[in-house]
Amino acid sequence: MDQSKVRRLVLDPAEPFAFSQASLQDYADCARRFQLRYVQRLSWPAAQAEPVQENEQHLRRGARFHRLAQQALLGVPLEPLAQIAAADPDPALAAWWEHFTRLLPALEAGERRVELGLSAPLGRHRLSAVYDLVQVFPAEGRAVIWDWKTSLARPRRAWLEGRLQTLVYPYLLVQAGSWLNGGQPFAPEQIEMVYWFTGFPDKPERFTCSAAAYRKAGRSLMALVREIEALGPDGFEKTPEEKTCRFCVYRSLCERGAGAGPLAEQEDEGEAESGEIEIDFDQIGEIRY
Amino acid sequence: MNLTPAQLAVVRQPPGARLFLEGPAGSGKTTAAVARLLALLDAGVPGAHILVLVPQRTLAGPYYAALRSPAAAPGGQVSVLTAGGLAQRMVDLFWPLVAKDAGFDPLRPPAFLTLETAQYYMAHLVRPLFDEGLFESVAIDRNRLYSQILDNLNKAALIGFPVSEIGERLSAAWSGESAQLRVYADVQRCANLFRDYCLQHNLLDFSLQVEVFRKHLQHSLLVSEYLKASVRHVIADNIEEDTPFAHEILQGWLPGLDSALLIYDQGAGYRSFLGADRASAERLAAACTTHLGMAGSLVTPPPLEQLGQRIGAALERPQAAPQEGADWDSALDFPPELRFFPQMLDWVAGQVRSLLDSGTPPGEIAILAPFLPDALRFALTNRLDALGVPYRSHRPSRSLADEPAARCLLTLARLAHPAWGLRPSRVEVVHALFQAIAAIDLVRAQLLAEVVYRPKDARLSPFGRIHPDMQERITFSVGNRYEALRAWLADYAEGEPAELDFFFTRLFGEVLSQPGYGFHSERDAGQVAASLIESAQKFRYAIEAAGGMDGKPLGREYLEMVQDGVIASTYVQSWQPPQADAVFIAPAYTFLLNNRPVEHQFWLDVGSNGWFERLSQPLTHPYVLSRDWPAGRLWTSVDEYEANREALFRLALGLLRRCKGRVHLAFSTLSEGGYEQKGMLLRSIYQVQLEEAARG
Repeated sequence: MDQSKVRRLVLDPAEPFAFSQASLQDYADCARRFQLRYVQRLSWPAAQAEPVQENEQHLRRGARFHRLAQQALLGVPLEPLAQIAAADPDPALAAWWEHFTRLLPALEAGERRVELGLSAPLGRHRLSAVYDLVQVFPAEGRAVIWDWKTSLARPRRAWLEGRLQTLVYPYLLVQAGSWLNGGQPFAPEQIEMVYWFTGFPDKPERFTCSAAAYRKAGRSLMALVREIEALGPDGFEKTPEEKTCRFCVYRSLCERGAGAGPLAEQEDEGEAESGEIEIDFDQIGEIRY
Repeated sequence: MNLTPAQLAVVRQPPGARLFLEGPAGSGKTTAAVARLLALLDAGVPGAHILVLVPQRTLAGPYYAALRSPAAAPGGQVSVLTAGGLAQRMVDLFWPLVAKDAGFDPLRPPAFLTLETAQYYMAHLVRPLFDEGLFESVAIDRNRLYSQILDNLNKAALIGFPVSEIGERLSAAWSGESAQLRVYADVQRCANLFRDYCLQHNLLDFSLQVEVFRKHLQHSLLVSEYLKASVRHVIADNIEEDTPFAHEILQGWLPGLDSALLIYDQGAGYRSFLGADRASAERLAAACTTHLGMAGSLVTPPPLEQLGQRIGAALERPQAAPQEGADWDSALDFPPELRFFPQMLDWVAGQVRSLLDSGTPPGEIAILAPFLPDALRFALTNRLDALGVPYRSHRPSRSLADEPAARCLLTLARLAHPAWGLRPSRVEVVHALFQAIAAIDLVRAQLLAEVVYRPKDARLSPFGRIHPDMQERITFSVGNRYEALRAWLADYAEGEPAELDFFFTRLFGEVLSQPGYGFHSERDAGQVAASLIESAQKFRYAIEAAGGMDGKPLGREYLEMVQDGVIASTYVQSWQPPQADAVFIAPAYTFLLNNRPVEHQFWLDVGSNGWFERLSQPLTHPYVLSRDWPAGRLWTSVDEYEANREALFRLALGLLRRCKGRVHLAFSTLSEGGYEQKGMLLRSIYQVQLEEAARG
């Protein structure tokens, strides 16, 4: 009875789970996907969107942009960054960079927290997120959350509004961000979230928060978590929205089709920017026996 | 968390203290450190200002568990890193600042090599030199040869000496036949070639990541400011398992930190062959303001600690501290006299079953061996299966290319690319069909392959062309699945070839993972496919970063490298969450670095000298290439003997300190190969027994 490959089917009651906006979004989209990806930790290497090569280019371009933005915000001189963007084999990157440099002056104000990781308890679990940028204005007790979006098409406001990221990021900043605000939690009204689109720099989408919205967010998140905790092994059901399965790598496992959906129709950005907290252990020497 | 007074003393040290905490394994150091981490968070220290530094990921488990729990105060994320991970992160982030000075093209991003891709480039450079007679006298597998040259580069970086001194240092300590000096000169030549190639192509293997950080980034104003702002509190655990590179970083940070807790495990130091250095870890104590010690064990009963000390005395270790009159005998279980190796395995399996029957949870049992080759693992797990014992095993060096699911994908890739001329044998096609199609048995896979596959032109023919009698024998349901797979491959072969990882991805998603195919219900096959795809993808990234290949399809190069064992030769199983309630089967050092004590340990084949002798590494040397080895001093057989005895003592003591109940010694008079065996570990235990008997 080799137990090496035995996978858990429900949340371990003895072990807290690290929730993120991505995992909660997966649950909201499809409970079965959540179970496969986060409970069973099952890698399933099917295509996420077609053409595969273009999808990969898209994801890698997005990752390179995020890196350039992070470098610029950390104080790396802009000239070499501009040269790197110009020399990139993908011409879109140079254009995105140019858009970003126009935004940069607006980001100079206040205190900047780049690639900020925050975490707070959520019931008997934990909620974590990594923010592209949080701009803090201590004198006003105000904060602006910036999120770079590199999707091919600009998502609709209604779609963004329904995403768990829009709920989780301001909520978690209130919960875990008091150390950024002189020891005082940010008032929800003082938090703004901005989605800035690399391809549509003049059309950012802004969301403000409120005390009522914050309280509602807390209740919604706890309700989601309780719902997940209560599910038995067979309770993680497939989404009734079969359209979603076109962009899900587990579609073959769920018998929901063979080919991936077209990249151009994918509203989300793909997995490279899911906001998961990952630690790169590639270079850690393992005992080799 | 219930803490002992000694642990509470650590937690309650002033917030600004720089602590050096030492003690033996099991004395509660890590628990105290975790409690202090939580206390810092409770006291309002931003998590984003705290770094937990560990030598390898398995040692970070207790910190992750604490940080995941709701007991940790809300705030910024605590970073948990290795020194190597920190270096890579900094190089990646601040590349534009240093690329030019470090000798790279600043306009191109850095290409970080994995162990696998570094080995590929080393093979790429060294292979042509074999014709010139390089390494003629070295009789080891070529992949081990490449990895040992890389190991030398890594040691140079971690210890802090120039790469150009590798050959000189190895030669200066050599006291054997002079032919070996030529080998060391060859090692140096290959190391130089590799380094130059990496610099020319913006490739950064592990050694270059460390060097670039150390020479160019560490002292850059922007980087220092960044690190100073983000690392205000450090908890560094198991510093004795870390390298001088990590210790240098800590040494540099300590004076400016708001707090530090460095944890040193006495009697450990198992990663020396990976560059770990106990002596340089100890020197960090001087840079700390408070020195704390923990004695005793919260894990090991006194008889087992005493046994460890007695083994140390038998091995003439000066630091061993045996005491009179301890009842270590009760903690040790000897087998009946067993003549043959299989009898020993039977005994182990039977004992494990008895323990489970008497109420011991499976997770409280570990079966440990110096090495765990597939044959031994197979023989042991067969016996455990027969007795219904749940187990899990850890084999970090299992070959990905040997996994049936990977072999299937690789064979189908060769069939789909006939122009590459890598024709699979009929046997390979049989196994590929067996893996690919659900509900096909080996006999029908063989029948099918015999009639549809012509190895000469590496083509599969349609199921419809088979004689109807044969179709019936194979069954139409299998035939239909085969036909869909064949048609998919034929369609693909007619178009432009895709990158190999894309080919695998589509083949997996569109066919092999669909209902009716072998990967659909076998979750682990999907996992293996994911690992293979990742390997092929990283290979492509590395080649693309270096400017691509001249004319040769990249996928073909990958497949050839897999066949040669250069690529996909190691397979770190990272996906499996440990199932606590299963008997753990592992190499002894892996168990040590998992750092999870158990009630019962079985020491397998304890008469073997594998417990005592160091792995043969003719192209490198963990002791000579250490910071404290005096220049020009010869490494003699006395040194070797001493080093092995020291390592054995530390290993035995480390295992005993991770045992909560009893150690079961498993040995047979004759080894697996039929030779009588009395290895050093067994002899030392006998000596302890004799001494005890003499005392009456």
